[in-house]
Amino acid sequence: MRIDYKLQDKFDLWLIIPATLLICIGLVAIYSSTINHPSVHANFQRQLTWGIVSLIVFFITYSLPTNSFKYIGIPTYIFSILLLMAVLVIGRKISGAKSWLYFGGFGFQPSEFAKIGTILAVSTFLSRTNANIDSLKDIAIALVIGLLPVGLILLEPDMGTSLTFMALILILLFWKGISLFGLFVVLSPGFVALASLFGIYYFIAALVLVLVLLLLFQKDILTSGSILALNLGAGFFTDVVFRALSPHQQKRIQSFVDPGADPLGAGYNAIQAKVAIGSGGLFGKGFLAGNQTQLQFIPEQWTDFIFCVIGEEFGFLGSFFVLGLFMVMILRILKIASSAKDEFLSLVLIGILVIYFVHLMINVGMVVGIMPIIGIPLPFVSYGGSSLVVNMFLLGIVANIYRTRKNYT
Amino acid sequence: MRIPNIGAIQRSAVVYFFILASFFMLTTRLFLMQIVQQEAYDEKSADNSIKAIEQVPLRGVFLDRNGEVLVSNVPAYTLRVLPAEYDTSLNRILETVIDVLPGTISKILHNNRIYSKYIPIRIKRGIDFKAVAWLEENSEYLPGVNYIVEMQRGYPAAIVGSHVFGYTKEISPEQLKRENDYYIPGDYVGHNGLEKQYEKLVRGVKGFNYILVDSRRKEIGKYKDGLEDLSSIKGHDLVLSIDADVQRVAEEELKGKSGAVVAIEPKTGEIIALVSAPNYDLNQFSYVTSREFLQNLYNDPLRPSFNRATMSVKPPGSTFKLMAAIAALDLGVITTETTIYCGGGFTFGRFFKCHGGVHGSLTVIHAIEKSCNTFFYNLIYKIGIDRWNEYAKKLGFNGMTGIDIGEEVPGLIPDSKYYEKIYGPKWPRSIMASLAIGQGEVSVTPLQLAQYAALIANNGNSFIPHVVKGYIDDRTNQSIPIKYKEKKTGIDPKVFDIVKEGMYLVVNGAGTATRIRMKEITIAGKTGTAQNPHGKDHAFFIGFAPYENPKIALAVVVENAGFGATWAAPIAQKMFQAYLLKDKINKLEQRSVPEIKPNIIGASLEN
Repeated sequence: MRIDYKLQDKFDLWLIIPATLLICIGLVAIYSSTINHPSVHANFQRQLTWGIVSLIVFFITYSLPTNSFKYIGIPTYIFSILLLMAVLVIGRKISGAKSWLYFGGFGFQPSEFAKIGTILAVSTFLSRTNANIDSLKDIAIALVIGLLPVGLILLEPDMGTSLTFMALILILLFWKGISLFGLFVVLSPGFVALASLFGIYYFIAALVLVLVLLLLFQKDILTSGSILALNLGAGFFTDVVFRALSPHQQKRIQSFVDPGADPLGAGYNAIQAKVAIGSGGLFGKGFLAGNQTQLQFIPEQWTDFIFCVIGEEFGFLGSFFVLGLFMVMILRILKIASSAKDEFLSLVLIGILVIYFVHLMINVGMVVGIMPIIGIPLPFVSYGGSSLVVNMFLLGIVANIYRTRKNYT
Repeated sequence: MRIPNIGAIQRSAVVYFFILASFFMLTTRLFLMQIVQQEAYDEKSADNSIKAIEQVPLRGVFLDRNGEVLVSNVPAYTLRVLPAEYDTSLNRILETVIDVLPGTISKILHNNRIYSKYIPIRIKRGIDFKAVAWLEENSEYLPGVNYIVEMQRGYPAAIVGSHVFGYTKEISPEQLKRENDYYIPGDYVGHNGLEKQYEKLVRGVKGFNYILVDSRRKEIGKYKDGLEDLSSIKGHDLVLSIDADVQRVAEEELKGKSGAVVAIEPKTGEIIALVSAPNYDLNQFSYVTSREFLQNLYNDPLRPSFNRATMSVKPPGSTFKLMAAIAALDLGVITTETTIYCGGGFTFGRFFKCHGGVHGSLTVIHAIEKSCNTFFYNLIYKIGIDRWNEYAKKLGFNGMTGIDIGEEVPGLIPDSKYYEKIYGPKWPRSIMASLAIGQGEVSVTPLQLAQYAALIANNGNSFIPHVVKGYIDDRTNQSIPIKYKEKKTGIDPKVFDIVKEGMYLVVNGAGTATRIRMKEITIAGKTGTAQNPHGKDHAFFIGFAPYENPKIALAVVVENAGFGATWAAPIAQKMFQAYLLKDKINKLEQRSVPEIKPNIIGASLEN
């Protein structure tokens, strides 16, 4: 079977088969959740079109020279930042967030597009020949590159997407080989910021903990002092950001911090999502037979709550199958990333992995009630052109790197 | 301190295990929800989307002993508003049309604002037909306004019957708590009288329509095309022993008076008529009962809501002499030949006056005829108070009769213990004299007196007095009789023949009630006049007819009226006529039982 060998050699079926299956499952779920919804009836057709477009994008990306990703990194990143700024000015507001840019009838989300630029730019920066991960300066620059889009996306405000960016930059630093102290410097402001959400006492306790750890690391007074200042700033900055959030997002965060705060508002979706999934049972209620889905108990189910459709209509087996497909894909990317000898490509692969993985964990986590309701889509499955095209572009990069892996080993 | 970098292979392993752990966590969570807790979620999901709408069944109708409909169901219109579609600028015009105070609608809407906007809200029950016509005409300008037909009680027989039938009322929170397995808030239940006592027979079985609703509770279709729907089952029709004509006559006769009438068929214990006056209009309860009406009803000094027939107790006056006669004859204290001399009074410690002068030597029959006090004063001392009390109990006094309309009181017949308690062992025996003639502490209800008349008429045997003969099963159309306990006094039947002879003479001899003597019917009876320290005497009459073969026994009590013969006896006469002469007329007509077909079956009442 010479041909088969050649195909798998050039073209990683472990990536493309799960991805295609996920898109198909997504189409089935979108069809089911929109069939009784006259206003969004066309979503299935649109997603089908986007699916075809995204496959084309995938193959284009796949066939590009692998080197080109190195060169497009910084320009793509700068272009993304410009788009993110533009969306704050001329963007269109949809469900509380100014995250859409429209050119004629064609709209897309710059925050999706910015994922590509950010992964490539941070990877480029971290893999330059004189990069020193032990230098706080390098870490700081990497953080700035990574957090600039986070800040802009938070202003939209889109909490979920900025979370994925934060995870992205963190894991890239980790993959590059950041020291424990470096990790501490990067993580501690985030920790303090999170603690400050719970109230002033948690904030103070977190600061004390940071102070104790700083003493243990035994760095010079200047370093320690500036890090403490950074932490202090993070706490106050969080407060500023929290106030800047839209009321419905504030509520979502509050309802996670204190679940009893708003049981009927933000809590409603969480409850209905759980009921939909739980009532699915082992085999599910069958295609088009899930009453939670068909009777529209979950708003906008075809986007962020698409997993409920699968859980309700196809049961535990269906949900498990979807998780399995993701796991195959993600572990495959990890394997390619681990064996890639080129540092830039390895970092890019890990960045893509993080994007998929964090989306998956937050999205499924929120519908099964172990994460707060943060609206981010399930990659390949949720309705949405920008997300699908960007995800397939990223998958194209992975397949591209796989194709040329021997050149870099 | 210098912390070494984590090696590339270790980093890869960390990420690998982190990913595996995360997938494991999600899978476990899904397994817990979808396999372990599936049932609980499934229930919630079903609750969410399938809504059962109750179909309120028709209550069973009440028929009289001849098949005439006494209590029926009539359609009434209820105005409802669907808040999701309703425009509040219509409030004022609607309020004018349905004749309620301005601001009523917005108040009702405000009270219901916590419910979904897709649940219709009841604004007014029982709107009149003109309003319905107006709604129909202008329906296109009235978004979210509609009306439904609900069934209400109707009273087509032109009798009031308030204390027999009772009325239905929205269920109270307390009852709801006790019987939450069937009722829901807003349900109407029997509140008193037969409606309450026979609630379970009459109410029928609720039906359910299952509909699908979306997350806003908006109805979007039938569940499984209505295959699972259960239609409501009409309640059983009650067949009463009431005779509409007799009841109507009694109500008519007591109009403007206070008092009570109970008529019983002696052989069966069936109640032919039961009236307590003043009464109240049950129609006022079938729609929305106005607050004023209720206030007037409960504040009325004559207490129309009080059932005098079963709840009021009074000394029964001379009607009670029969009791002493029965006791004395059955005990053998006297025979029909025994005579007692009446010299116009009786001395026991003090002098007790007889009425109507000197009666001379009297046998028991003539003592009854003349209602001679002296005879009975003597008699009770011969009997003794405790044996006398025992006979009173045998004849149904000092205890509940067991009537099936609910509330009643036992009354009181004193015995020696009773007086010992009050006056000590040396209680004045002179008290007994007035007991013999039904004065003093003797307290009886009109119902007990009627039962007493029935027992005498049927020589000491009857059944527990009851209003419901049985019911008609709505599905099988079978008439199912209800069995009642027999009431046996254990007294020699011959004793009653002697007493009845005396009662015959009361009307047909030279007695106290000769004014009600009739050619067509032989009436037997006994009058009574009970002294009333608060005003005019209470008038009593007990009796039965025809004398030869008693078909109706009754007791009439008119409060604050005067002599029994003048005030109570004529009412009894009218009732005897209504009951006994009607049969002769109707034999020619061959009355047929009218078919009861309500116009609208199964009008829906949504919760």
